[in-house]
Amino acid sequence: MSIMQYNGGSVIAMVGKDCVAIASDLRLGVQSLSISSNFEKIFPVTDRLYIGLPGLASDVTTLREQFRYRVNMYTIKEEREIEPQAFAQLVSSTLYEKRFGPYFIEPVIAGMQKTPSGSYAPFIAATDLIGCLNFAKDFVVAGTASEKLFGVAEGLWEPDLEAEDLFETISQTLLNAVDRDAFSGWGAIVHVITKDKIVILSSSAFISPGLGLAS
Amino acid sequence: MEVSFAMTGKGYVLLAADTTAVHSIIKVKTDVDKIKELSPHLLMAYSGEPGDTVQFAEYVERNIRLYQIRHTYPLRPPSAASWIRRSLAESLRSRNPYSVNLLLGGYDTSTYTPHLYWMDYLGTLVEVPFAAHGYGSYFALSLLDRYHDPEATVEEGLAVLRRCLDEVSKRLVVSPGKYKVKIVDKDGIREVEL
Amino acid sequence: MSRSYDRALTVFSPDGHLFQVEYALEAVRKGTCAVGVRGKDVVVLGVEKKSVLQLQDPRTVRKVVMLDDHICLAFAGLTADGRVLIDKARVECQSHRLTVEDPVTVEYITRHIATIQQKYTQSGGVRPFGISTLIVGFDPHSPRPRLYQTEPSGIYSEWKANAIGRSSKTVREFLEKNHKDDLSRDDAIKLTVKSLLEVVQTGAKNIEISVMESYGKVTSLDLAQIEAIVSDIEREKEAEAERKRSRLAATAAGQAAMSQRVAGSEAPV
Repeated sequence: MSIMQYNGGSVIAMVGKDCVAIASDLRLGVQSLSISSNFEKIFPVTDRLYIGLPGLASDVTTLREQFRYRVNMYTIKEEREIEPQAFAQLVSSTLYEKRFGPYFIEPVIAGMQKTPSGSYAPFIAATDLIGCLNFAKDFVVAGTASEKLFGVAEGLWEPDLEAEDLFETISQTLLNAVDRDAFSGWGAIVHVITKDKIVILSSSAFISPGLGLAS
Repeated sequence: MEVSFAMTGKGYVLLAADTTAVHSIIKVKTDVDKIKELSPHLLMAYSGEPGDTVQFAEYVERNIRLYQIRHTYPLRPPSAASWIRRSLAESLRSRNPYSVNLLLGGYDTSTYTPHLYWMDYLGTLVEVPFAAHGYGSYFALSLLDRYHDPEATVEEGLAVLRRCLDEVSKRLVVSPGKYKVKIVDKDGIREVEL
Repeated sequence: MSRSYDRALTVFSPDGHLFQVEYALEAVRKGTCAVGVRGKDVVVLGVEKKSVLQLQDPRTVRKVVMLDDHICLAFAGLTADGRVLIDKARVECQSHRLTVEDPVTVEYITRHIATIQQKYTQSGGVRPFGISTLIVGFDPHSPRPRLYQTEPSGIYSEWKANAIGRSSKTVREFLEKNHKDDLSRDDAIKLTVKSLLEVVQTGAKNIEISVMESYGKVTSLDLAQIEAIVSDIEREKEAEAERKRSRLAATAAGQAAMSQRVAGSEAPV
């Protein structure tokens, strides 16, 4: 078994109309044995930017600390918040630094990028474990359920989804994909980012009959 | 085979570890203390490669103590856990890494909350309500899924722990005979007889 | 190649002095006074504490520090240098426990500190530490208290009682006159305070006392306790002065009577 599958876990990000969403499961396991159902792998970078870090759990924490340090230094030196585009490059170079002894993580980035006109445009990106960037216009997936996520997302996603519909789409995609993956699941968390607010929902909140969502 | 358990309760953390030292197929000792007292409110149960375990545990112990002497106050459990995790994560990519798995139980005297962390030799760190390492985890985790209560009293907690140990004795081929059990709460650390 | 000889700041003067080391000793002489007194089964450290500024937090100005469970250190001289040296000593204490299980002995850590101080008188690109230290404590498994001193040159020595810093000569002379072997806890504390009062005019509020009674048992006296000792000492001094005065008066009276008697005896003649 590959070290990328050792702890399990999956992340997905999707573009909507003036919004983006990023979601992950909450499982942490050691091969087939589940240790925790509350291991978060998506972290805020700024108010409008999140990063998901599926892969080896040790490196999830290490990279999270590393990115927090580098973003803080950037913010202090530049006297401004980092933009998604710049952050994606930072992620890429951080990973490529360890080209011949990599971190076993395939990051997923989602945020709202400032445009020259002063408004915000949705931004998503993903990289492989050595920092090869993939800027997508629709959705990006990573983790042990990535094949399933690709399949379900391909079927459910459509362009210009409003925030509520995007939430519905990403939730259904994630939940149905991880149900077919033994290494992902055990709860989920979804972040929907619009230009002026962020909605975070964990599985206990949105797997309720009232919202019409299946577990 | 090495077995260790831990669980949180109302205002305390309970840690249990077997007391056997094994050399190939032979038990060479049955009264080993594998739970280190790192500071007045912090316990660490360690298991893994013999040699590495004690060496790493003592390294952690001395550094935690040094921090306390330097800053008057000890590290709080979350900070101590982060420091230990980083030590393991850095060791993992070094020339010869430590193979040590840990359960870290502590009581935060500033927020009056118990904390329990599960950590492995890769530097994986996660806060959990209950945890186990070794073959015991295959039996105990499912038991704890059913019976663990974060609001349990010490007596109730010990009763659940008893269940886990009994199950291991009953089902595990290579089960250890004796355990050492320690508790950490607002009053500090104490050993309990099961 | 030019790097090889002129990098060292500490070079001998033609008559064999190391000026940098002597300047460091001068920094020590300018530092606040610290006193150490060894009793029978107790050792006391007393320091002259500079008055903190009105808005300063007094807890952050410390001159007596713990090195390990069983060892305390006081210093006189540059506080900033002290901090660095103390940190090196603390790391060594833990490192020693890690490698050989046992805690350090007082002499071991003293020698370690002195060795560091000596290195800074002989290496290139550095200057000596501008501090002297008093190190007190108990060796593991020993009831005997210890008191050591180190200097910027790297000299270290053991003492029954000693003082470093401002006016240390006066205090040492006082200690030489008044120190007895096997002092009790209270007497050792009293002697420490008394000797400090020789040079601290402002009294109790500028004195800090730490007492180590046995392995790992350290207490520091609070202001009220020190004030009580100071007023005790003052009372004794007052009584002593009173006795002197009355003895003086008695002598004077005696002499007066004598001369009168002499005068009287002359009268009949």
